Amino acid sequence: MKLAFVGVGDAGTRIVDRLVRAERASGRSVSDGNVLVFNTDDAAFEAATAVPDERRVLLGDTHPAVRRRPDPAEAGGADGAETADGAGGADETEALASEIDPFGVGGDPDTGAAVAEAELPEIRRALDRIDETEVAGTMLVTGLGGGTGTGVGSVLLEELNSIYETPVYVLGALPAATEPDRRALTAARGIRTVVPLADAVFPVDNEAWRRGDPVAERYDAINDAIAARVLALFGAGERDPESVSELRVDPADVTRTLEVGGVASIGHATHELTPDDAGVVTRLLRLLGIADAPESDGAEADAATVKRLVRRALESTLTLPCSVDSADRVLVILSGPPDAVSRKGFETGRYLLEEETETVEVLAGDEPVPGATEVTATVVLSNVTDVPRIDEIQRRAVAALDASDAGDDGTTVLGDAADADTRPGAPDPADGPGDDAAGDSHASEDGQTGNPTDGAAGAEPDGASSESTTETDGSASEDGDRSVHGFDFTAGDDRGK
Amino acid sequence: MKLATIGVGNAGSKLIDRMIEFEVETGRNLCRHALVINTARTDLAKPKNIPEDRRVLIGDTHHKARGHGVGGDAEIGAEVAKTDIDEIRRVFDDVEIHEVDAVLVAAGLGGGTGSGAAPVVIEEIQKMYDEPVYGLGVLPGKYEGGRPALNAARSLQSFVTKVDNFIAFDNDAWRSRGQTIEQGYEEMNKELATRIVTLLAAGEVDESEVGENAMDSSDIMRTLEVGGVSSIGYASTELAPAKQGLLSKFNESDEPESESTDAAKIKGLVRRAVNSRLTVPCDISSADRALIVFAGPPEVISRKGVESAREWLENAADTVDVLAGDDPRPDSSTLAAVVLLSNVTETPRIDEIQSQAVDAQNKIREQDAVREEEIQSLITDDDDDLDPIV
Repeated sequence: MKLAFVGVGDAGTRIVDRLVRAERASGRSVSDGNVLVFNTDDAAFEAATAVPDERRVLLGDTHPAVRRRPDPAEAGGADGAETADGAGGADETEALASEIDPFGVGGDPDTGAAVAEAELPEIRRALDRIDETEVAGTMLVTGLGGGTGTGVGSVLLEELNSIYETPVYVLGALPAATEPDRRALTAARGIRTVVPLADAVFPVDNEAWRRGDPVAERYDAINDAIAARVLALFGAGERDPESVSELRVDPADVTRTLEVGGVASIGHATHELTPDDAGVVTRLLRLLGIADAPESDGAEADAATVKRLVRRALESTLTLPCSVDSADRVLVILSGPPDAVSRKGFETGRYLLEEETETVEVLAGDEPVPGATEVTATVVLSNVTDVPRIDEIQRRAVAALDASDAGDDGTTVLGDAADADTRPGAPDPADGPGDDAAGDSHASEDGQTGNPTDGAAGAEPDGASSESTTETDGSASEDGDRSVHGFDFTAGDDRGK
Repeated sequence: MKLATIGVGNAGSKLIDRMIEFEVETGRNLCRHALVINTARTDLAKPKNIPEDRRVLIGDTHHKARGHGVGGDAEIGAEVAKTDIDEIRRVFDDVEIHEVDAVLVAAGLGGGTGSGAAPVVIEEIQKMYDEPVYGLGVLPGKYEGGRPALNAARSLQSFVTKVDNFIAFDNDAWRSRGQTIEQGYEEMNKELATRIVTLLAAGEVDESEVGENAMDSSDIMRTLEVGGVSSIGYASTELAPAKQGLLSKFNESDEPESESTDAAKIKGLVRRAVNSRLTVPCDISSADRALIVFAGPPEVISRKGVESAREWLENAADTVDVLAGDDPRPDSSTLAAVVLLSNVTETPRIDEIQSQAVDAQNKIREQDAVREEEIQSLITDDDDDLDPIV
């Protein structure tokens, strides 16, 4: 299934870069060059060498709420080290990852959204570079903990939805436990925003994937693993279109599996075919013209191997760990040499999934890779609803919200949204798309314009610590009360400094 | 019999392709027209024996299919067939219908295209022509899961009520262990093609060779006309090494003992055909009508054998409507007996599929009912304090 990759923010840029590299390395052509990356800070662009220059789009460089990275040559003073780090290697160091990157939108998704709204003409121009007729869908790739990733990403997602008839999926990295609570808050809001908008969301649980190491040290490893899974899913069928497999996975199998929406998770396992493997023996025997010989244990073991492989994929570290029995629909893809994979194994593997996931909507297909020396099982669990990590991020988010609200009492508080417009660095309300009264809600369900100017102001790292409404207002959010910007992101951050 | 054939979906197309291969190999001439219909562009490239202009892609303008298949969804399969029915009719218009005795529509009932689109195609053909339409349907195996079972159970209803007869093939009865994905259903398709072609191609021999015992197309159609679900049994014996033995016996045909030995062999072949793997396992005695075709060199088909085989089947199938006849194939090195059991009503596998389908349907409904609620509950925190960004 052909997909356009649209990366947003640092994480999105990095992952798209890895996806494009993995496409080339694996011979699976998914994007066919239909790639774009958007960012509000151009540091991450430099390392994304697989993405051509003209497909990198810097947004908000003239937006007052966006903080430009100083030219490294002029860098000095307190900012020096940080800047050098950021500009030198696109990956944040753990030191930086544990804080919020001050550049770009400074980690504030509302600023991100405001910037994106203001830059819509530029975004639309950039999206013209994607040939929609060549792709069967779009994958928005983003870090859900980031201000740009989630803020710009959300607006971009709305835009993609309105211009494309084909499905729009989201691949979104979730912040690890070691990352600031504010990023958890952004991610929790991000999940809430993108899930209803996207056709399906693939959250990536960095916490599960960092395996105890600082997440920034494992970016490449994690992103490579994620890219491999995404390509195993969408790239199946994009290799060797002449293959004869009857069980081949069609793009419609993928879209139908994902069409239920919600969040999806991918499992993956590989089995190396050794020379004394039954499949090879079968092949040999067939070559020698005694094709029917291996009705024996050999082929049977092969079926067991395939079934075991499917089980291992299900029990592997999923891109998003979850209760597999909460899955709504399932797709399994077996990739490998078609003459060495047991069909019975294929069928029993599929049935195993039906039993384990407790759904009857299990599609199965294969990706024939003649001559391959390994068999890979990729299992997609669509619309999983029992996801402990998301619950945990929500708890952290609520706690961060409460903490910032509680902080209102003890710290210097500039009050609520009304202050925003008076803050230095705040954009002129008239410029922003969210220029309705500052007190307006951006929590209302249709709050498209929201109140981004507040966020924008708050995101100005140098601005006064902006605090906003109290917890009690929070409960009023459904009434469209202004309370929503109660989690003015800079609040906690500034306090932390 | 002369047929116009239509393969719908992957399995159906593959079957028609196989049938043509088999008839060419064996010098038969059954499929006078062949047409394949699919929703996936890549799959349409697979049949080797169907000319390119006889392959029809449907649903390429449908927003969910787009030429990439229907993802196993029978509803969409039916929908795209209805939308593109003009396209199908246009291609079928070329068929000189008066040149054929009947239309055969083949489909896999587990997938979305075959189960959904085939009944729509059948309906349309019945609107256009008066010739009988037969269905050839592959039933999914248990391990193919609940969704294919549901597709099959629903499609089976449409098929059986519409077609003049439905010949069923049960994947489960034919699964063998050692196969690889590449071999896929190749072997099964071959077995099924052998049975179908051997049965239906009877009655198409050169007039000069027609003996009084030759099977006629109208006999086959008469057996099928009762409708319902049918099953086919098959057995063959190689004559090449044994031929000498058989022939030498015929040469000394004055010897009555030899005649009775041959009769026993013919009867044995039919017993073997009925007790072999039927295309769909069934209670033989539930058959409404039955028919036996002997395909092979006429000299090895003993009259006495044919008659005793017919009598045996009359008893076994518990029906007096049993026809038997020859399909003389002078150059053939095999003697085959193919038995058609028409309108069998006791087929355990169909009952199983139906109960698997009911469970699947219940599960799908349960999931549909809570889907939005569960997503909402996942993405919102307990007190709904967090709100979306846009």
